[in-house]
Amino acid sequence: MRRHHPAVNRVVIHVVLLLVLVLWMIPEVYTLSIGLRTPSQAFDATLFAWPLTFDNFITVIRDNPLITFFLNSLIITLSTVALVVAFSSLFAFACAVLNLSGSLTLYATLLTTLMVPMASLVLPLAILLKTFGWVNTYAGLIFPYAALGVPFAVVVLKAFMEDSPKELFEAARVDGCNAWQTYWHVALPLVRPALVFVGIWQFITTWNEFFLALIILTRDEVKTLTIVPMQYSGLYMANPGALFAILTLIALPLILLYVVVQRAFVRGLLAGAVKG
Amino acid sequence: MSAISGRAPELVSKRHRRFAGPWTYLFLLPAVALFVVFIAYPIVWVLGESFFSLDRGGANNFVGLDTYLSVLADPVFWVVVRNMFVWGLITIPVQMIIGGTIAYFIERHTDAWRGFFRTMFFLPVVTSVSVISLVWVQIYAPYYGIAQEYLKLFGIEMASSPIGDPSTAIYALIVVNIWQWTGFSMLMYVAGIANLPTEVLDAARVDGARGLRLAWSVIIPMLSPVTKSLLLLGIIGTLQTFPVVQLMTGGGPNHASEVFGTYVFRTSFVLGDTGRGATISVIVLLLALILSIIQIVYLGANLSPSGRREERA
Repeated sequence: MRRHHPAVNRVVIHVVLLLVLVLWMIPEVYTLSIGLRTPSQAFDATLFAWPLTFDNFITVIRDNPLITFFLNSLIITLSTVALVVAFSSLFAFACAVLNLSGSLTLYATLLTTLMVPMASLVLPLAILLKTFGWVNTYAGLIFPYAALGVPFAVVVLKAFMEDSPKELFEAARVDGCNAWQTYWHVALPLVRPALVFVGIWQFITTWNEFFLALIILTRDEVKTLTIVPMQYSGLYMANPGALFAILTLIALPLILLYVVVQRAFVRGLLAGAVKG
Repeated sequence: MSAISGRAPELVSKRHRRFAGPWTYLFLLPAVALFVVFIAYPIVWVLGESFFSLDRGGANNFVGLDTYLSVLADPVFWVVVRNMFVWGLITIPVQMIIGGTIAYFIERHTDAWRGFFRTMFFLPVVTSVSVISLVWVQIYAPYYGIAQEYLKLFGIEMASSPIGDPSTAIYALIVVNIWQWTGFSMLMYVAGIANLPTEVLDAARVDGARGLRLAWSVIIPMLSPVTKSLLLLGIIGTLQTFPVVQLMTGGGPNHASEVFGTYVFRTSFVLGDTGRGATISVIVLLLALILSIIQIVYLGANLSPSGRREERA
């Protein structure tokens, strides 16, 4: 009998985990479920309502410039990710491999950013961006987001570079590589899992950023997906089916992306801890 | 190895010639430039502005610490402080406990389903916070929301929406926050557990530690770096709280669920009082710095994702 216990345990644990997961997914399922309802069922106080209809999705896609908001989100997010990955890897390389004097002081200074809440930055940033004439522009979000994202990326990349075998950098030097060539041909390929991890995490946080976007983007042409739900909640107040169809469409891109890249993301996360 | 170390003296001189030229400082430049323009300068500006006040004629007068005193005398400010305290005190440990428990069972007792569970529990983190807020407003809604409908089955009666009642609003928002961020704690613990050295676990098992005992007296202590990072991230996260509150209650009813984010937003952008908004910004900033320093000094907490220690720094 004793021998069977582990197997029984495993089944019980899987069942319990699945039950917890089902409970945990209720808000996600509920969003989709309301989006799939006819107007007469939209206010039913149940998790599911039958039959399902795709009418809401067809209507909201036809009537709204969702693709514009999606492209705005994409442009802002990809640009931010590119800046963060580039700037943070350069900085980390200078600290970890070049050991430039003074670079550790700069590193410590940069790290204080991690303790700065957005709430204390929005007001001065809003005024600064106004002087730059960057209100309602992509740049008005990309640069502040990159500035806020670089420190965390530097922490991760610097640690990865310090854990890389030093012999490789020395060999590059012996072979006559200058600093830039060592960075490009040796350091970057070495820390690729960390670059992917940092890039994905930056993508998630930038895509979902709400506070600064709410203040800087006031014109519809530049708004991101994350800040448009509010205006739809007013527009579709009497028609929850349409509202939740839109909410589903707004949440979908990042969820799909995460499902696709999660393996690489977790791999980077695990690799970071291994080398600690 | 020997070939490389044999050339070491020659390397030292080459290093100075090739790697440490002044131009290599350009590697630091882009990150530092971003920091100076978009982090340091705004902080200096907000600090300066907090000592000034616009009078009725539109002139900017130096008022010293007057604005600070008036913010500290504002009852709403203390409601915010209390809410933030309650928020951190509940969300941080609850997320750690639920996330850590889920992570433990996923990592120690599943194989084929591991990736599935890891991904699914993380989905709320990547779901747009504005979508989440509106869904939870619907869940909590009286008459047509599912919360009151299904809680009835457990004998819990909700007469009105919990976000409309000043005594429950903040707790209703905390539930949403916990739901969204537990997956993050889960994934951090997953990384920590997956990387526990197997020799130590095996040794503990030989000594007779199994199941809960193993978890309690070996695994939890060994995960303390993860716990410390989560604590630090949790405190910063608490001070960052904004979208859920702004979208679900706007800080209401009657300031009952006001947090620093909504307080700054209302003062600076709705009421347009820049001096006062700057003062509150500075107070939030000081609070964040003090709390972080306390933790770094006492716990040696680090800020990296997987609980690695920054010993070399």
